Amino acid sequence: MSAHHHHISTAKFLWGVATSLFILTFITVFVTWIHIPEPWNVVVAIAIAVVKALIVAAFFMNLWWDSKFNVLLFIMSIAFFLLLIGITLLDTLYRVDPVPSF
Amino acid sequence: MAQPSVTEERLEHLQHHFIDSDQQFEASKMGMWIFLVTEILFFGGLFLAYIVYRAWYPELYLLASEELHTFWGAVNTVVLIGSSLTVAMAIRSAQLNQIKGLIINLWITIGLATVFMVIKYFEYTEKFAKGILPGAHYSYEGIAHEKANIFFSIYYMMTGLHGIHVLVGIGLMLWLVYKAKKKVFHSGYYTPVEITGLYWHLVDIIWIFLFPLLYLID
Repeated sequence: MSAHHHHISTAKFLWGVATSLFILTFITVFVTWIHIPEPWNVVVAIAIAVVKALIVAAFFMNLWWDSKFNVLLFIMSIAFFLLLIGITLLDTLYRVDPVPSF
Repeated sequence: MAQPSVTEERLEHLQHHFIDSDQQFEASKMGMWIFLVTEILFFGGLFLAYIVYRAWYPELYLLASEELHTFWGAVNTVVLIGSSLTVAMAIRSAQLNQIKGLIINLWITIGLATVFMVIKYFEYTEKFAKGILPGAHYSYEGIAHEKANIFFSIYYMMTGLHGIHVLVGIGLMLWLVYKAKKKVFHSGYYTPVEITGLYWHLVDIIWIFLFPLLYLID
């Protein structure tokens, strides 16, 4: 049976996705010119990167139409990455003598 | 919805332990996603090193990132996003049985990936010439911070590992071109194209984070 239901994006849609990513790239460079004060410059830069990454994952990697299990795998990888950061920072941010010799 | 059907039913790709092409395709794709999870955590360790050291030496990152050229970082971001588009177009071509379009889009992707690596090469050699090398080999005097070498160790590890992934991607896509020319792929079987595409998009996502984190601080 060749009745497969793979999602096929139109060329127009794929160009639209790429265009939105180009625009967001411009915005992320643009905001460094207007000098947003600390720490908001970092927050804005990361927020834009997260939006771009989600656009790529959803519409280029087709997670939007994919099986929920693959979406779950992606979410779990992010969850464990955040856990890795969180637990490590609980150590490194609260050291009395923070800096090792390296 | 009527799919463009390959009614002659080519099934030589179907392995005996799968019920049909769909099950084989879904199994391969899930396997790739599990691999991508390990990739995210692989790079995750380096992103963590970046975060820990940035929390310790915020002023170092501001000083050191001035050595990186925002313009070339931005160009490379556009190049990689463009290559993500062409790889998505390659998959679309395969889905529509347009093997010529598949090969053309793969070649454009390979070309853009090569442009990325050439720009990276010039960025690296410019720094090497100044003595900006990782770790103990660091000898540049231009940054007033005793830990300047740490920023660049992290820079070289992150962009280096990413660059290796780009090179692997180029190799994979050359292999896809070879297979496509041998008429292996058609709308009923394009799993290697789909899965290499997933890999390539992840490499793009990693760079989407590396660009602001390394080049855009200040």
